Parts: sequence; C-alpha cells; structure tokens
Amino acid sequence: MDQFIKIKSLKKVFGEGEDEVHAFGPVDISINSGEFVSVLGPSGCGKSTLMLMMAGLLEPTSGEISFDNKSVDGPKNDIGIMFQDNTLVPWRTVEGNIKLQLELRNLNLSDYKDKIFDILKSVKLEDFANRYPPELSGGMQQRAAFCQAMIHEPNTILLDEPLGKLDAMTREKIRSDIQNLWMINKPTVVFVTHSIEEAVQLSSRVILISPRPGVVDREINIDLPYPRDLEVKKSNKFYEYVYEIQEVFHEYGVI
Amino acid sequence: MYMRFKRYSTNMASSKNKLTGFLKWIASGWMLILFFVLFFLFWEYSIPLFDVPRYILPAPTEIVQKGSADIDKLIYYTGVTGLETIIGYAIAIILGLGFGIAISFSSILRRTLYPFFVSIEMTPKIAFAPLFISWFGFGLLPKVIIVVLVCFFPIVLNAILAFNSLSNELTLFHRSTGANPLKTFFKIRLPAAMPQCFVGFKYAAINATVGATIAEFIGSDQGLGFYISIVTGNMRPDLAFAGIFFLTLLGLSLFGFVTLMEKILIPWHISMKRINK
Repeated sequence: MDQFIKIKSLKKVFGEGEDEVHAFGPVDISINSGEFVSVLGPSGCGKSTLMLMMAGLLEPTSGEISFDNKSVDGPKNDIGIMFQDNTLVPWRTVEGNIKLQLELRNLNLSDYKDKIFDILKSVKLEDFANRYPPELSGGMQQRAAFCQAMIHEPNTILLDEPLGKLDAMTREKIRSDIQNLWMINKPTVVFVTHSIEEAVQLSSRVILISPRPGVVDREINIDLPYPRDLEVKKSNKFYEYVYEIQEVFHEYGVI
Repeated sequence: MYMRFKRYSTNMASSKNKLTGFLKWIASGWMLILFFVLFFLFWEYSIPLFDVPRYILPAPTEIVQKGSADIDKLIYYTGVTGLETIIGYAIAIILGLGFGIAISFSSILRRTLYPFFVSIEMTPKIAFAPLFISWFGFGLLPKVIIVVLVCFFPIVLNAILAFNSLSNELTLFHRSTGANPLKTFFKIRLPAAMPQCFVGFKYAAINATVGATIAEFIGSDQGLGFYISIVTGNMRPDLAFAGIFFLTLLGLSLFGFVTLMEKILIPWHISMKRINK
C-alpha cells in the first residue's frame, strides 16, 4: 500500500545546446495509495510537465517514475487524466463523451450503463446526459470531463489544473464535487494547481514546487478532517496552512 | 444567449416552429429580396431609358423569352456540364481526402508531396486546360481532368490542415487510453477534421463549375461553356445570359448539396457556430 508512486531524481530539459531550457527537477516524490496530493507552484515551474511524465505521455530527460514498483516507460493506460482544457468532443453528447473513454479502451458498454448514470448523478449532471458540450456552461463541461476521466474506475487520477478556467464560485462548487467523488472510492489523486486555498482544502498533502527549474521546496501534510466543508475552511488551522504556504512563495518573490 | 440552451440535434421541431422559422428567414432576408427585385427592375427599365442596343445588353424579360425558346438545348447542355462537374468533383474529393490523410500521417510525404502541392497551388491550374484538350481530345475526359485539377488542391490542402490540427489535449487523451490508431482515427481524428475538410469541399464546389466552363470554352462541341461561346460569337447576348443563368443554377445546386451534406454529416458543427455567435 505505502509508496504507491515513486519518483526518483526526475529531470526534464527541453531543447538542446543554446536553446536548452532546464524545465524541471531533479525531484524525488513518493505518494501513498489513496492519497490526495496537490502539486502547487507558480506558472512555468514545470508542474504540468511533471504530470505528463507521470502519465507516460512525455519522456523524462533522466530519472525514473514507478507505479506499484512498475516503472513508467510509455503512456499509462490504467489512469484517469484531466486537463485545463477538457477532452470533451463536440460531436458527442455528455453521455457519448463518457462512453468514448470506454470505447477507446475496448470496455464493454453494457457493463457501465448504471455506472454512467451514477457518476453523472454524483455531479448533478444526470439531466444533461443528452446535451452536447457546447450547450453547457464551463463548469458543467468540467464536471462532465471529470466523469469522463473517472468512468473506467482508474486507481490513479492525474488532474492538471482542471478548474483553471472557471470562475471563483464555480470552482468552489466543483472542488466539493471532486472531494466527494474522491471520498467514495479513494483513488490516488495528483492534483496540479496554482491555487493555494484549493490545494489546502482538497489535499492530504501539498507538495510545493519552486519557480523554474521546479524542484520540491517542501511538503506539508494537511491535518484537517474530511469532508472539508465551509466550517473547516473557516477554521484557524485552515488559514495557518494557507499563510504558511503564502510565506514560502512570498520568499520566492512569486506573490 | 437563449440559443445556448436550445437543443440542436435530436429534438423534433414541430411544424409550427418550422413555419415561424421560415417566416423569420423571410423577415431577415427581406432586404436581400428587395435588393434583387430593385436590381432586376433597374436592369429592365434602364435598357430603353439609356437606349442600350439589345446586341450589347438585353433586358431580363427578353433573356427569359429567348431563353425559353432554346430551353431543350439549355437543359441538355446543363446535363453535359453538370456531369463533367460532378464526376470531376467526386474524383477530387476522393483523391484530395486520400492524399490529405496520407500526407498528414506520413512524415516522408509531408516533406515531399506537401511542398510540391503547395508550390503547384500557386500555378493557375486552368493554364493547363489547352494542353489537356490537345492530349485527350474534345470529349468528357479532358473536362473531368480539369475539374479534378481545380478542385483537388483546395480539398487536399484543407484536409492536411484538418488532420494536423487535433487539439493537444485530445491527442494526449487518446494516447492515454492506448486505443489503436484505426479506432482513434474513426472516433476522434476523422470527426474532428470534418469541419475544416468541408471548408475545402465548399471552396472546390465553387471552382468546379468554373473549371468545367473554361474547359468547354477552349475545346468542346457541347455543354454550357460551349453554348455561351458560340451564341456570344453569333451576337446573341440574350442566349449567353440564359446559359449563364443555367450555369449559376448548376453552381448553386452543387454548393447547396455540399452545404446540405455538411448539415447532415456534422450537425454539431453548424450548431456550434450558431451558439458561439
């Protein structure tokens, strides 16, 4: 169970010679099974690069990533993945988009009939199953994309700023949706964000990444009870965590 | 804003909705209709007013009158030109899509055929027409080849653009599912590419009748292009305008058909444009 994901001296350099950009690392991280870990850092620190390397979609320059002692050497098919710009296609309905995930993976659609309904219901989209993405608001689209990323029941979910383009109120709402879904199945979640409050509210642990080249500055365990509703967010302890993290980025001159 | 929540694909519009839709269309198009009416009225009455000789420019009523006397020939020639256009256009779509997909997926072709096509695109294709006539004679074949030539390039270049512009996120998404290339092609790449492909199809549809007409100007013994060049030589601009009218009908029908196919094949795209307005 413990140390499910291991990242060892991972480094990424883009380009060659004079155009060389040292984007990320070297970094060592280990993540336990069922943890909700946020990777928090300023823009350009390489946190999205880290996520793509974890998903096996980008080759690291050096170092190693392993899931459950199996090292990543190509696109990982057993995870769920979600980006800032969603992967919903405009020619399929919300339900059709969720099925797309299953169809591409050669999974049997009839096995998932109830699951599709359940997951849509959990984010209150059950009445929008037959709508097309362009008909939905940005928040609804991201919730649908979240269902798409989760429907094949991956035990690891990588989220790359999935709420980045949403307004503050919608973000608040979807945070609690994500938290609820995580609490049901307890998948391992790696959540890339640049919102300090979001990281503190959702995660059991926050990994702070320095400005480029991104390295781990420190890791902070967030010792607050779940579910973290408004009450928890009003507590002093919540704000102590937020201030602690703010100070770190203030020292870097990022905020 | 209300459009955002309007269903667009599977909902059944009631006949009442269709009627109000039609009335709305008429209402929004009234300025255009009025413009056409005024245009033809001006044309009709300015001929006697400015004393324009009929062998220079005939009035619309005279065009209709003289044209109807020659209607059998006009309809037959529309069929001839239409056949050249449609065969050439269909071949251009098959070749254009085929080469477009091949070039998008092969880095060797992208470095060889693609720049070759781009440079040929700069050549006015119609300049080849006399050569084709001299090689292949006066029949159907040289006209079809010329139509293919003027339609192929917009189709292939738009197809290459279409198949190369899949969003980064969708590329990462399908890679992460481990789906095989064929499945990815039919479930993601092909539908995603269709809107841009149709840009090429529409542009080519406009080119198609131009190609057929010019090919007939240069060397043929039937077809609307042939008809127009003969009657113009005989000082019969009235019949030339009748021929031009049928050519316009042919072009509009082809363009209308392609637009209809777009609506049928990718209804989501049309609606998306409407919503984004």
